[in-house]
Amino acid sequence: MGLFTNEDQVVCTVGALKKSVYQFHRVNSSFFSHKIMAALKLKKSVVGWFTLAGGVIGFFSGFFLAIYTSVQWNLIVGGKPIVAFVPFIIVGFEATILFAVFGNAIGLLTQARIPSYKWLKNYDPRCSGKHFGVLASCKPGQVDELKNFFQRQGGEIREFDDHRQAKPPSWQG
Amino acid sequence: MKEINTQESFLQKTLRFWVVIAFVLIGFATFIYGVFGPHPERAWQAYLINFLLWSGMAQGAVLFSTVVHLTKARWSGPLAGLSESFSAFFPLSFVFFLLLFLGKTHLFPWLNEDLAEKKIWLNIPFLFWRDFFGLLILYGIGFGYLNQALQLKLDPNQPQMGIRKLIYKRWKQNGNNIELIENRMTIWGGLYILAFALVLSLIGYDLVMSMDPHWVSTLFGAYNFVKAFYIGLGALIILASVFYLRYGEASGLTSSHFHDIGKLFFAFSLLWADFFYVQLVVIWYGNISEEAHYIIQRTMLADWNSLAWAVLILCFVLPFIVLLNKKVKTKPIFMIPICAVVIIGIWLEHLLLLGPALSHNPDSIPLGVSDGLIFLGFFGVMAIAVTYFLRRFPELVRYKENKVA
Repeated sequence: MGLFTNEDQVVCTVGALKKSVYQFHRVNSSFFSHKIMAALKLKKSVVGWFTLAGGVIGFFSGFFLAIYTSVQWNLIVGGKPIVAFVPFIIVGFEATILFAVFGNAIGLLTQARIPSYKWLKNYDPRCSGKHFGVLASCKPGQVDELKNFFQRQGGEIREFDDHRQAKPPSWQG
Repeated sequence: MKEINTQESFLQKTLRFWVVIAFVLIGFATFIYGVFGPHPERAWQAYLINFLLWSGMAQGAVLFSTVVHLTKARWSGPLAGLSESFSAFFPLSFVFFLLLFLGKTHLFPWLNEDLAEKKIWLNIPFLFWRDFFGLLILYGIGFGYLNQALQLKLDPNQPQMGIRKLIYKRWKQNGNNIELIENRMTIWGGLYILAFALVLSLIGYDLVMSMDPHWVSTLFGAYNFVKAFYIGLGALIILASVFYLRYGEASGLTSSHFHDIGKLFFAFSLLWADFFYVQLVVIWYGNISEEAHYIIQRTMLADWNSLAWAVLILCFVLPFIVLLNKKVKTKPIFMIPICAVVIIGIWLEHLLLLGPALSHNPDSIPLGVSDGLIFLGFFGVMAIAVTYFLRRFPELVRYKENKVA
């Protein structure tokens, strides 16, 4: 793992790693970085579609619930129609939000493989502070070359003996 | 990077310039012809609608600058400077308000009604004086804020003449103290936000809600200023898009600016719909005849119900669905028509609110070519005002990361 304190160095390192013979695994950062995300060139997350699907299902479910229960009681109150869309919008809206959140949570759990205990293997706690960690692996004979590579990029080296890397999430490509 | 020479490129006597001048003249001529024609009430109705629309737009756009300053929203970049250019419409808006007095007999249907105890509030002198002072305070505070904000943006290398000279002098008097000026901006900005909410509420109650003096909605004031901020953002996006399409990255604008302000615009489409709906649902549940008749006439009876649906689609459904997409928000070429559609939707919404009360034949929608031409006239005035301001302060277009030294 190469440990960096500069965001731009991480961007350069990721770009160079992707063109190299080494296997790039992941970047650990204590905050979200647009620059690093752009350098990683990740496939677009599909979690948004889960959220949208949840929202659309919720919208219709909310209306269905309101209409169904009103029809079951079949009581005219204050001269209002039994199936009245104006007040049902509230139920539809609330159900939209609720189901969108469910969809989002399901999307996160299925697509990001949360919880993943293997994911935190080969992790340096400094990446929860001011450091960025760039994790890469290589063949046994290339260890020194990889260390030199990270050093040339301006990073500190942290070596892990465990060669079994956690599988990245499916959307990472 | 392409250098923008704003002094040269703005308000040159190009075809665009003459087109805008033609809009103003056509709008003015149409209004005058309408006022002295057989139906002066139609002309005054169009005038009032456009006064409310374009004034709200300018007030809302300037609000953006104060809000991003107070919230320390660094993402806004050059958008804050561009939004300040709409303040050039303030003096014109004030004059337009004063001219409303001439059309008072056509604009206030309650003049010949017995208002009983409401007469204390709804009488012409009191209405005009309170709105006069309200607008005076709002615009005064707005210029107070700009007086500080422009000091930080002024380029000392540009020729200092007229108003620029005054601001530059202030900058020197303040000892180039950025922190002091930013603190003053915070005070003026906070006051502007407060005045915006209060004065636009007052304008909403006096110039829109009072047209049907027996109808009351306590949320109407809040609805009015939310709407003003919504169209202010729309106008700002259009202005920024025009600059971006013309000058590209040299304008200091990037697609992320459009993405961010697009998200804000999207959020305000939801907020506008929320305020539209929460008024409706309370009246629907209450079902009191004094309140319900207003809604029934506008949303259930022909032809107004079709206009109500058009307003809902243009101001909420369409922007909501389109702006769900991230890419659309980052593309100025798509944002211009979306924002224009919303502004036209709000123009129609003013007609929906005012039309049934002001029209002599409330069964049909009083919308014709003359209304469109008067709209164009006001558009021309706004375009000239904003362009004039940007010509005076070209620094607002060229954003700098570092403040003037």
